[in-house]
Amino acid sequence: MVRTALVVAGVLLALLSLGSPALAQTDCKTVVPASPWGPNDQTGATNRVTAAVTKAAAAEIQTGKVTAMSYPLVDGVPLFGSRFTKTILTAVSLAPGAAFGENQLTYMEDTWLSQSHVGTHLDGMGHIGRKDCYYNQIAMGKFINQNNMTKLGLEHLKSFATRGVLVDMVKVYQAANKFKGNAACKKPCLEKGTVISAADIQAGLKMYNVTLREGDIVVIHTGWGDLFEQFPAQNALYNSGEPGIGKDAAKWLASQKVVAVGSDSWAVEVIPGEDPKEAFIVHNILLTDNGIHIIENVRTDLMAAEAAASKRATFFFNMTVPKAVGMTGNFVAIDGIQ
Amino acid sequence: MTHPTPALPCGRRRRRVWRAASALVALLTLLVAGGGPVSAQRRWTIAFANLTEEPGVTLEGTGFTGAEVRESFNLAARLYPVDLVFYDNRRDDARAVANAEAAVARKVDLYIQYHAGAAANATVARTLKAAGIPVLAVNDPVPGAPLYGLDNAAAGRLAGEALAQFAARAWAGQPTVAVVVGRVAAAAERVPERVRGLTDALHQRLPAARLTTLDTQGNPAQVAPLLGAFLAANPARKVLVAATDDATALAAKAAVESAGRVRDAAIVSHGVDRSIHGGMNDRKEIDPSNRGSIVIGSVAFYLDRLGYEVLPLALRMLRGEPVPARTATPHKLVTAANVFIEYPPSDMN
Repeated sequence: MVRTALVVAGVLLALLSLGSPALAQTDCKTVVPASPWGPNDQTGATNRVTAAVTKAAAAEIQTGKVTAMSYPLVDGVPLFGSRFTKTILTAVSLAPGAAFGENQLTYMEDTWLSQSHVGTHLDGMGHIGRKDCYYNQIAMGKFINQNNMTKLGLEHLKSFATRGVLVDMVKVYQAANKFKGNAACKKPCLEKGTVISAADIQAGLKMYNVTLREGDIVVIHTGWGDLFEQFPAQNALYNSGEPGIGKDAAKWLASQKVVAVGSDSWAVEVIPGEDPKEAFIVHNILLTDNGIHIIENVRTDLMAAEAAASKRATFFFNMTVPKAVGMTGNFVAIDGIQ
Repeated sequence: MTHPTPALPCGRRRRRVWRAASALVALLTLLVAGGGPVSAQRRWTIAFANLTEEPGVTLEGTGFTGAEVRESFNLAARLYPVDLVFYDNRRDDARAVANAEAAVARKVDLYIQYHAGAAANATVARTLKAAGIPVLAVNDPVPGAPLYGLDNAAAGRLAGEALAQFAARAWAGQPTVAVVVGRVAAAAERVPERVRGLTDALHQRLPAARLTTLDTQGNPAQVAPLLGAFLAANPARKVLVAATDDATALAAKAAVESAGRVRDAAIVSHGVDRSIHGGMNDRKEIDPSNRGSIVIGSVAFYLDRLGYEVLPLALRMLRGEPVPARTATPHKLVTAANVFIEYPPSDMN
């Protein structure tokens, strides 16, 4: 009897193991590197923003000039794939007789329907993986439900109060006599498909005598954001590709231990990519492998102009990210303060 | 037994070690940067004379255009120390010869010729040989030049085998017929080779299946009447449809739907152009979320990636390395299971 029960139990277990392929998971230790901050790390590169880093960054504030580095969040801006935005204003208390109390209080609020990765936005650690493996070898299949992630959410991020460094690729390419623009841009922009290399970034840093420090946020001005500013007229062109960093630039930036890389484009990386069979490989290099954030659709033209005028391409990077529990990213507002 | 190295004064020894280490680092940097000191320093000028860049005109019996071929060279060239010079042969012999002469005057380092005229290609070969410029031929031979090209027969076999496997899996024991539809007689575009590969595979794998060809002469509007009549004539049979190109496949799908025979048909195509794999927002017929489509796959011709295949061969020639006399496109069946690997929809449109 006991023997029969054991056999039945064994067969059931075997059937269960065969019948649940969805639970099969990749050995993430072979797919994604470990975090330098230990096996429990869910934070990534903002671990580098220490008190000393923030204090040093504060020294960038010399004139107090604040430069906007984000685009307006409004219906009609270019969006990736099937993403959408829809805002609905609730203003019922403005109707006659709907005000509250003797003080006639009225109120309004908004419903914002959209995905989190729209407009100027931050990619969090849970945004991009390789198979089911995400930052710090986390097998995310075990840590998602229909509402959110239970690991790697934005609530784990630390401060972004650090130094920002603008790299003006338009100037670099013009100086090197290899500038090739797009006629639809009202201001100079690099053509889509332009691969920004590590050497290009180093040339851009040299142009303003900047040496990257651990904990910096690098913002790359390509000029492509000019098409974003023309929304919706140039949305199709903006979406069709972009200039951006290539693989060697991403690896070099990772070696510099930066916190984030932003650009005035929708993916930061070059599209079409260097290898047509690779999909968003720079995202894998920065986010999945190194825990370095990507900030997309950053408005860079104003800071590029400031840098050109002041001969200074560094600034205090002022950006806060909501502690959005279990979310993969969120739209942000950025100010560069000099 | 080892012999002791003569002792050096401490400072000299350190300097020597330092110099050796510096030389090693410099060498490693060069190697990492670009495959060696020569390739890191030398830029090559390569000419590509395209078959035709006439807007809307498709090449090789597929949905790809000359503009897509040209763009593939532009994109691939980003990876190499190469400056490209483009010519348009316009499918015209005189133009092809004039382009080669212009390239000689421009002193290009290598010439990639994509032109179908045998006599013009012979003249181009002589002209460039006299100028000491190596030639690489694309899809049509040039005397004395290595050839990179499509393998239509192999592509057709892949499509035929895919259809046969589907029939064996889904319709085993049921009466089945096969039909090849499209520009089946377009010899200039080597479509008959494709059809031969298809029919060989189908005859081999499904010897009992009757095989019919329907020539649309390249007009997708002809697919509905031709295939509609064929379906009506075979009301109780399963139908394997081999389309010679993706536009024909989509027209065939519409014809099958109009005839109410979706449950009786499977379609395999050739090309994998954008009309069938699409971008992020396109309606993609071959798509992991559209696994129920009767278009079960298409054999990739990769003309939109020609530059990625051809430029490495050109660089090997320029470096004096041997290249095969004939290199064939690595055709592959693309289905819903692998389309996002072969063609990641990385653009936002």
